[in-house]
Amino acid sequence: MIHVENLTYTYPTGSGGPALRNISFDVPEGQFVALVGPNGAGKSTLCYALSGFVPHFYNGDISGSVMVAGHDIVKTELGDLAGEIGLIFSNPFNQITGACYTVRDEVAFGLENLGVPRAEMIPRVEEAIDLAGLDGMEDRSPYALSGGQQQRLAIASVIVMRPRVLVVDEPTSQLDPVGSREVFELLDSLSRSGGTTVVLVEQKLEWVAVHADRVIAMHEGQIIADGEPRAVLASAEVERLGVGSTRYTQAARLARRRGLVTGDGVLPVTLDQAVEYFES
Amino acid sequence: MTTSLSLYAPRDSGLDRLHPLTKLVFAVFGVVVGVTLPGVWPNYLFFLLVLLPLAAWGRIVPEFLRAVFKIALPFAISLFVIQGLFWTNGTPIFQLGSLSLKAEGLAFAAKTTGRILVVMGSITLFVLSTRPDHLMVALTQRGIPKTLTYVLVSAIQLVPRFQSKAASILDAQRARGLETEGGFFQRVRALLPVSIPLVLGSIVDVEERTIALEARGFSRDGPKTSYRVLIDTPAQRIVRALMLLASVALIVFTVVRWWAV
Amino acid sequence: MDRIRKDFTTITWVMIPVAIAINMALGFIVFSLKIPFLYLDSIGTILVGLLCGPIAGLLTGALSNFAWGLLGNPGYVPYFPVGALIGLLAGLFGQWGWYKQWWLWIFGGGLITALAGAVLSAPINAYLQGGVTGSGTDVLVAAFRAGGASILQASFFQGLITESVDKVVNYAVVWAIVKALPVRFLARFPRYINVRPE
Repeated sequence: MIHVENLTYTYPTGSGGPALRNISFDVPEGQFVALVGPNGAGKSTLCYALSGFVPHFYNGDISGSVMVAGHDIVKTELGDLAGEIGLIFSNPFNQITGACYTVRDEVAFGLENLGVPRAEMIPRVEEAIDLAGLDGMEDRSPYALSGGQQQRLAIASVIVMRPRVLVVDEPTSQLDPVGSREVFELLDSLSRSGGTTVVLVEQKLEWVAVHADRVIAMHEGQIIADGEPRAVLASAEVERLGVGSTRYTQAARLARRRGLVTGDGVLPVTLDQAVEYFES
Repeated sequence: MTTSLSLYAPRDSGLDRLHPLTKLVFAVFGVVVGVTLPGVWPNYLFFLLVLLPLAAWGRIVPEFLRAVFKIALPFAISLFVIQGLFWTNGTPIFQLGSLSLKAEGLAFAAKTTGRILVVMGSITLFVLSTRPDHLMVALTQRGIPKTLTYVLVSAIQLVPRFQSKAASILDAQRARGLETEGGFFQRVRALLPVSIPLVLGSIVDVEERTIALEARGFSRDGPKTSYRVLIDTPAQRIVRALMLLASVALIVFTVVRWWAV
Repeated sequence: MDRIRKDFTTITWVMIPVAIAINMALGFIVFSLKIPFLYLDSIGTILVGLLCGPIAGLLTGALSNFAWGLLGNPGYVPYFPVGALIGLLAGLFGQWGWYKQWWLWIFGGGLITALAGAVLSAPINAYLQGGVTGSGTDVLVAAFRAGGASILQASFFQGLITESVDKVVNYAVVWAIVKALPVRFLARFPRYINVRPE
């Protein structure tokens, strides 16, 4: 579904060298991939490269190849990528089009642009509103919703277009705890329903460890680790480069250093693994 | 928040349910009537016998009168005072010390006030009874590019947010000791620290908002469809055609009259 | 024709409503500060002209007056040609490289816009509103009328005086705003070349 090979990219005003260096990876259909790494590692730039905004919106120098859902990103116009690749980012307010007076119209906006017939639009809009838990708010102004509701509206407005790949860049970093939980629950149900390939940038590693199929860690524009969540997130090398680690890994590492636990098995990254780790 | 988006006053009324284009064509017709009707009184009659009953049908009489008078009253006062007192070579009818009210000036003021009432009244009636997004749907369905209608709806929704942002920046700068009173230059100097943060913040948001729109297929070529359907009737189509014909006739009539003079 | 199409990128379409909202928000600030002879309601229009080209500026100016009408001040609607002219001129001055000389931009741009605006708005004002503005500047109209000027002349001279102050300040504020914007953002706009630092 995603095939990236030797991708190197530099912003036009980039003085600090390439934002992405020699990135290669493949994602099969339906996989839920989490991108982790410190600020400035190139996660957001990679999201833009997967959705076409790099290079079509930001310009700059690009080399290598990016294939997503059968489209050669570098050669395809942004308008033709819409609907095929969904993009969601942090700021809920900036994702509201401003063109619509009600939640219902906002969700339908993308379908109108794709030229979907009205008879098909109606059930799809209802379904997306339902899935995002926005029922009862259909006729409210998008601007009258809370941050968490706005973010779920943004997600509904994208999934209604039935994208084959969903790129989600730190969807909860500007939300309060309640809003974050609602958005996480929605993302979880989306990934479990299968079919959609998801690439998620997320700092909340405890959540990533439980829900992602795979974790890719980035540092200074490069991929430094790629594999099962436990293999990547428990790695000392990955933590050293500023990616961080879950509190279960931290507890286990501390316990090992103090000699409370013996052996050198792989450290836990989830609560279940931690329970198992400390019991054995 | 949702109520301050525009002047639109939602009502369960026949006027409210009319197709937006019918109301738009009526507004154009009203403006044409206002600027072409000759003499002093016809405009007042049109206001009383057409605009006011329509406002009553739409159940918006108080809002309508408040909005129209808010605009028309300052003009009327200026007109009667300035053109009444300073009409060149007019016939004095009332002496006020060294000044005098001139008959021609007062007639001109009365005529112009009637014109303002009808022009502003027609536009106000349209604005009060038409939901902006419905208007945009109607225009899009008539072939106006969606990008153009996006601009108006989006602007209308941004304005109240920007105004509250402006007010809070103004308060914050005052709290930091910015001098917003005093002479002309002092106040002009106070403008920059207030306006620059507002404009910079909003322009920085433009980038993300553009990306969000693109991701929803905004710049996609090819036919677009519409989620909303608007009710139009043959009767309304006929009325619209008649109003357009009448507008053209009034303009031709006025131009011919000018020609003759 | 092709150049105009290139001006209307999605970022231009997103910028236009933001510019309209800027026009109104700054108009609101000036109103709150109670500054005489100043409206400052064209900042967004001039910005779009400079950064996105003359036709985008023209559209912003015209639509700004309609948006004002929808938002509660129908008095602005008949003056939409004036708004359009302001945006068009700002675009042309930008294209001619005036922004790069601050004095040419602020005084050349501001004063020519004021003159053109006064010429265009006087007949609208005289015919539609009898030459008065319904505001404090009517003191000027009264003075010109008392001095024997016709309605059209009084309206024009009133417009020229208030517009000159207002448009010079408008152009100065736009100059300061663009100077304060990071190059990273300016570079996204179609007419970045107008403001690119040497």
